[in-house]
Amino acid sequence: MNRIPVVLCAAMLLIPACTGNPLIRKVPPGPEAEVAACMDCHSNVDELFSKEHPAVSGDDIRTCFSCHQPMDPKKAEPNTFSATLHRAHLNKESGVDCLSCHSWIPGRHFGISGTGVDLGPLPENNMPLLKKTFLSWAGSRYLDARHAKQNVTCSGCHGDSLPAPGDTIKNERCLMCHGSYDALAEKTVPEIFPDRNPHQSHLGVIDCTVCHVAHGESRAYCLECHQKFVMKTPG
Amino acid sequence: MDKEKIDSNIKSTRRDFLKVTGGTIAAAGIAANGFLLRGSEAWAEEKPETWNEEVDVLIVGSGFAGLAAAAEAAGRGSKTLILDKMPTYGGNSIINGGEYASWDDEFSLRKKLNLGDDTSKLHMTDTIKGGDFYNIPALVQVMVDGAPSALNWMIDEGGLKIRELVNRAGGHSAYRTRTCTDGIGRGYTEALRKIAESKGTEIRLGTKVTRIWRQGLEGPVLGLAVENRKGRQNIRIRKALVLASGGFGYDVKMRQDFNPIVTPDINCTNHKGATGEMIRYAQAIGADTLHLAFVQLYPFAEPETGILDTPAVYPFRGPGFGMVYVDRNGKRYVSELERRDVCARAATATGSKPTFSVFSEKMIPLMGTKEEVKKGIAKGRFMTAMTIADLAKEMDVPGSHLKDTISRHNQYLADKKDPEFNKPVTAMMVPMTEGPFYAVAQWPAVHHTMGGLRINESAQVIDIWGKPIPHLYAAGEITGGVHGSNRLGSNATPDCIVFGRIAGTNAAKEKA
Ligand SMILES: Cc1cc2nc3c(=O)[nH]c(=O)nc-3n(C[C@H](O)[C@H](O)[C@H](O)COP(=O)(O)OP(=O)(O)OC[C@H]3O[C@@H](n4cnc5c(N)ncnc54)[C@H](O)[C@@H]3O)c2cc1C
Repeated sequence: MNRIPVVLCAAMLLIPACTGNPLIRKVPPGPEAEVAACMDCHSNVDELFSKEHPAVSGDDIRTCFSCHQPMDPKKAEPNTFSATLHRAHLNKESGVDCLSCHSWIPGRHFGISGTGVDLGPLPENNMPLLKKTFLSWAGSRYLDARHAKQNVTCSGCHGDSLPAPGDTIKNERCLMCHGSYDALAEKTVPEIFPDRNPHQSHLGVIDCTVCHVAHGESRAYCLECHQKFVMKTPG
Repeated sequence: MDKEKIDSNIKSTRRDFLKVTGGTIAAAGIAANGFLLRGSEAWAEEKPETWNEEVDVLIVGSGFAGLAAAAEAAGRGSKTLILDKMPTYGGNSIINGGEYASWDDEFSLRKKLNLGDDTSKLHMTDTIKGGDFYNIPALVQVMVDGAPSALNWMIDEGGLKIRELVNRAGGHSAYRTRTCTDGIGRGYTEALRKIAESKGTEIRLGTKVTRIWRQGLEGPVLGLAVENRKGRQNIRIRKALVLASGGFGYDVKMRQDFNPIVTPDINCTNHKGATGEMIRYAQAIGADTLHLAFVQLYPFAEPETGILDTPAVYPFRGPGFGMVYVDRNGKRYVSELERRDVCARAATATGSKPTFSVFSEKMIPLMGTKEEVKKGIAKGRFMTAMTIADLAKEMDVPGSHLKDTISRHNQYLADKKDPEFNKPVTAMMVPMTEGPFYAVAQWPAVHHTMGGLRINESAQVIDIWGKPIPHLYAAGEITGGVHGSNRLGSNATPDCIVFGRIAGTNAAKEKA
């Protein structure tokens, strides 16, 4: 791939409506699929790494995976490797199309080219949403960008497969990193009116996502009835 | 004509009517414009394109009535699903004041505390008097009879705890009101949720019902159309649908449509989801309604926002123990043991917002807890002072008036006679001779909608021709007729739970 297609890809990324057919590589999943080669875009791969990074022998993503093991989806943990790669390639100016690295058969498979990794079926219609969400993750003023700063990628919250539109995150997943509900309550005792604690309200334990929205505006649900309260939900 | 004949007459008239109007509408529709085809006949014949899901018992609303219905239905082996449009469960129930009217309980608390006698019959008489005889007696009977056993059921199976006190509230002629230990409706909703979920009920939040599917205007109810973050879906019932979607106190347009004096500027104690669309969807499939004009104001809500917080429950708990209501002039304006409609009207008639409840230290353990009062002071809701004169300063009412009012009221208690407002004085009322004294500001806010769907004693929804709609039940504040024109305080909790249980039990018995 030379420079021109990259620019084209960037343009496509910013116009989600145009994505879809021209860029879909009709490749079957699995190791025999076309591998995403870094060299296609980066003339000097070595330049990309920090001094501390061990020497890299190969020039495609499989090389990375020989050291960077895939995350255990059962654990909600930051994934510095994935976060760094995605962040670097999702910059609004230098936008790269997902399919430079990912393999996709609409409605059947979305994975990482050449690795056999399968992240679930991604229907054609959901691709624009996925891109929009990833761009939001990379630089919004919402909670997703706060997670991005901590190197938490999709799987940190959504587990081992891509979410379907409308999916929400269960409290247990949030609490894997954020501690128990009681511990959260301790952190959010208001100074003036200690009993106006959003994590210890008269509603009991409610879904985190009632107030905390990752890819959109968060809200303070208490305020919908208690208009006089002073309260802000971060992110 | 005998009854059977009348019934069959009505039936055939109705069928003919449908045939004729249906035919006319269709013909007119073809001849004139397509719009007419969207009349009730067309609506009734519509069917969902696909069913996305199927359950035995489908329940709309996760408050007292819905949870109680689910507990019974799931307990009888039915696959039970509760839907609620709000992102949190419990509706008005979880924010309720924690009060439950029952003429008895498994601890015989009233007897234990020497608070006099009570019976099912007396509870019924009070309820019907309080509702100006608009109540449907058979429904009231079901509520009062079922109140103690429903309370005991939540204690035994749901881990509900109640306080060691019994209050006498406005309109009740006995000490009858139990309070859960939590002092808020969540005590009951958690107990009910525990029973319901332990039997396998699923509660799905953030899912709004947008239509009821019925086969024609005489056939059974089939299911629901719903909307949530995932899009639109149709859920089919195998056994029954239970409507437990609460009242319409927050539906500003609807409440004023039926009762023009309930203007939009009046505050409201309800949660935001208390709107009337489910009543309209039920009407659209032929359900009958009654008493929709009866909208209750809670006389003691927080004056600025209309919120009914814990301090706002105290004015309701206190009258049986000698609490006094005064206006901004420091004078009484009503008998404290009066019904809510009377108290609310009297407060409004003082012409000056707010009014106040005044009580003393000794009354606190009789009606509530010291801890609640302390919290209320910290929040700036309760005012307190060692003397009545100082309390008057806090309240910004004339001190001489308030002192005079309280000492005269003390005298009435000693005389066992209230010549000013004719309050029925009891020996349990405590004179306010010793401080500290307390006060809380209060003002009426829209609180409860007595009217709703017409049901029978089996919680079946009745259609406009007087027949039960097959496979359709309703319970709780969405129904009408139990409370007549004015609900007595603490009667809603037993109403919802008793009828919820009946609806759930009968729903589970339906043939799939
Ligand atoms: C602040 C307050 C305090 C009260 N205190 C007392 C008290 O102490 N004692 C007493 O006896 N009574 C009290 N009441 C009255 C009593 O609490 C209510 O009448 C009762 O809770 C109603 O219960 P319910 O199950 O019928 O409805 P709710 O508890 O209101 O539940 C109905 C649910 O249905 C949902 N719903 C509505 N429409 C739809 C739809 N289209 N699709 C999906 N879901 C829908 C709503 O979101 C709601 O969660 C109080 C009421 C309020 C507001």
